[in-house]
Amino acid sequence: MKAMGIIFTNDASLGDLTDKRTMASLPYGGRYRQVDFALSNLSSAGIRHIGIIARHNFQSLMNHVGDGEEWGLEMEEGGLEFLTPYSQSANHSYHGKLESLADAMDFLEYGNDDEMVIMIDSAVVSNLDLKDVLKAHVASGCDVTVVTKEGICNGSKMIDLALKVEDGKVTDIVVDYAAPAEYVASMDIFVLSKKFLIRSVKDMLARDKYHMDRDLVMGGWQHGVVSVNTYPFGGVAQFNESVQEYFEHSLDLINEDVRQDIFYGAHPVYTKVRDRVPTYYGEDCHIDNCLAADGCILEGNVKNSVLFRQVTVCAGAQVDECVIMNDTVVGEGCELKYVILDKNVTVTPGAKLIGTRNNPIIIKRGETV
Amino acid sequence: MYFQKKRVIAMLLAGGQGSRLKVLTEKTAKPAVPFGGKYRIIDFPLSNCVNSGIDTVGILTQYQPLELNEYIGNGQPWNLNKTHSCAQVLPPYERHDKKSGWYKGTANAIYQNIDFVDRFDPDYVVVLSGDHIYKMDYAAMVAYHEEHGASATIAVRNVPLSEASRFGILNTNPDNTIYEFEEKPAKPKSTNASMGIYCFNWKDLRNALLVDEDDPKSSNDFGKNIIPYLLNNGHKLMAYPFDGYWKDVGTISSLWEANMELLGKNPAFNLRGDERFKIYARNSAMPSSYIDEASRITNAFVAEGSSIYGTVKHSVISVGCTVGKGALVEDSVVMPGVTIEDGAIVRNAILGENSKVCKNAVVGGAFDKDEDRKISVTSKGAVVEAGSVLRPGDML
Repeated sequence: MKAMGIIFTNDASLGDLTDKRTMASLPYGGRYRQVDFALSNLSSAGIRHIGIIARHNFQSLMNHVGDGEEWGLEMEEGGLEFLTPYSQSANHSYHGKLESLADAMDFLEYGNDDEMVIMIDSAVVSNLDLKDVLKAHVASGCDVTVVTKEGICNGSKMIDLALKVEDGKVTDIVVDYAAPAEYVASMDIFVLSKKFLIRSVKDMLARDKYHMDRDLVMGGWQHGVVSVNTYPFGGVAQFNESVQEYFEHSLDLINEDVRQDIFYGAHPVYTKVRDRVPTYYGEDCHIDNCLAADGCILEGNVKNSVLFRQVTVCAGAQVDECVIMNDTVVGEGCELKYVILDKNVTVTPGAKLIGTRNNPIIIKRGETV
Repeated sequence: MYFQKKRVIAMLLAGGQGSRLKVLTEKTAKPAVPFGGKYRIIDFPLSNCVNSGIDTVGILTQYQPLELNEYIGNGQPWNLNKTHSCAQVLPPYERHDKKSGWYKGTANAIYQNIDFVDRFDPDYVVVLSGDHIYKMDYAAMVAYHEEHGASATIAVRNVPLSEASRFGILNTNPDNTIYEFEEKPAKPKSTNASMGIYCFNWKDLRNALLVDEDDPKSSNDFGKNIIPYLLNNGHKLMAYPFDGYWKDVGTISSLWEANMELLGKNPAFNLRGDERFKIYARNSAMPSSYIDEASRITNAFVAEGSSIYGTVKHSVISVGCTVGKGALVEDSVVMPGVTIEDGAIVRNAILGENSKVCKNAVVGGAFDKDEDRKISVTSKGAVVEAGSVLRPGDML
């Protein structure tokens, strides 16, 4: 069963963190960008024809993904394609995924041997076996399969698309709603046949309908014209849709169970190679319960934190419950707690930054504090 | 097929057995031996090539080539897989005129691949070996070679007179022209040791190789035959002094020492160094390392994908290793994929790839004297059983 993949990139906004980049290129988990998980899920399932729908701020994303070599996607035919806006349509925002797919119709229609399409967002981080999802979709005979996660709906978190499933049958679908705990949340991963998707996009747009969740899945299901199957995912799914979630989930990665599942679950996670040297631990450093990427120089004290590549923590610094992105320097004697340092930040010696777990301090890319 | 003319290409001698590395090269060619946490020895000359603007590299393999070939692959990690660049593995092969078979010596290896070199019509050929750890700008050496109008230029470093008889020694005039080459002289006249890094005019080298091949008494070796031949036939040979870090890691002791020299605040060999002179390696797609709260790591390198629960002192821990709770690793080189279980003690050791030190086992110990280091070594995949002891200097 040959399938193609489509990755959506501008699906959430995390304030200062996504100010100058897409959600997809947001650094995550020490060595990765959010999109690496979607790309690795697709490429590990043997999918070699992937479109990335990018609307704004996609420079850092293009720089990161390149020709897809790291994911085995540097192909003569197929491979990776950036689906950026046409010049004449650049001034308006897409109303929804279906409209952006209408713009990418050439890409969708190209290559007749792809029978299936997997649509995937980059805001939800997981390590799953999409071959199994494809198989389940075909076996279900339904028009669309939604990959779902239990335990995300709690009555207060806003969910893009939530479904109630009883005895394997969908009995209710809601969108943009703080669905109660008995609902399962869509992981924003859909499988459908290419024929069905192309027809639906054309049909929906002709009726001024643009939204995948609202119009195609919920509307179609309510009208009895779209049959919906769910694929309950048993592994870890991290919905990074707010700064708070991003921060909390980043620190969750330190936990053995979460770390094993996300990084080693169904397959390795691939990312752009940077050829940094191994991390150097100095004479007097104390590193407790941390994830440390390559290229760091650690001379100070770091606890319960995620350190990205090429981070320098100078002697006497105290870092606790922080997410510290690439190429940052934490000066001598600094004290940091509940802080997110974006790339290339310099914290001058002796500085003190104390946020809270629910409201971490964010220092923007390139700043000196 | 069209081949772009190249001013310089490199030929990398990677076929030697490296028998002095003992169990570490039982199943692996020396250039593929892991080094520095995430590298293999061959990454150094290959990265030097790329960093010197040399984009065409022939790699001569012979001994245990599987892993080395896999590692080199299409040359992508070193950017040698582009339209007009290559990392071409050149194994020995069969020829119609029977002038083939195994590579008889370093010079014969190049002789058998004259066709490969000729395709690029190079002005200069840089001949390198795959068992040295160093960073060097070969472009500067080629420029020096060109400037002096030499036939061959040999990189040299100053060694203590007491050690000079272990090396090929180049006796030079004050202007660095070479008048004599002595292989491991009993009474060395100078301290200019050859580093096994050569730059040749291809025309001159090609002729010398043809003559050498016709000499049945020749051992077809650069040091023993080609250099003396060029000297005796009136060619100009230059010594190129190099004073940067350079280490032949051909023995267990020197391999261990070179790894240790990466450590410290001001290491003897700074891997990090100049951002424009990076060492590239094939990527292992491993996540960040996990450092547990029970761990204590001091003055050590830890590469990606490792989990550290125990104590690590003055050591190099490579990609994908585990150091268990209560375990101690000190003054050791831990190669990729090694597991050190809870309570094990590893000191002054080199643990080969994917080897395992089970619970409460003890590997190695203190050196009696530093001149005669008793380094314990485990081979690839070896298992030191729970509670057992691998004594200092023992190999498994």
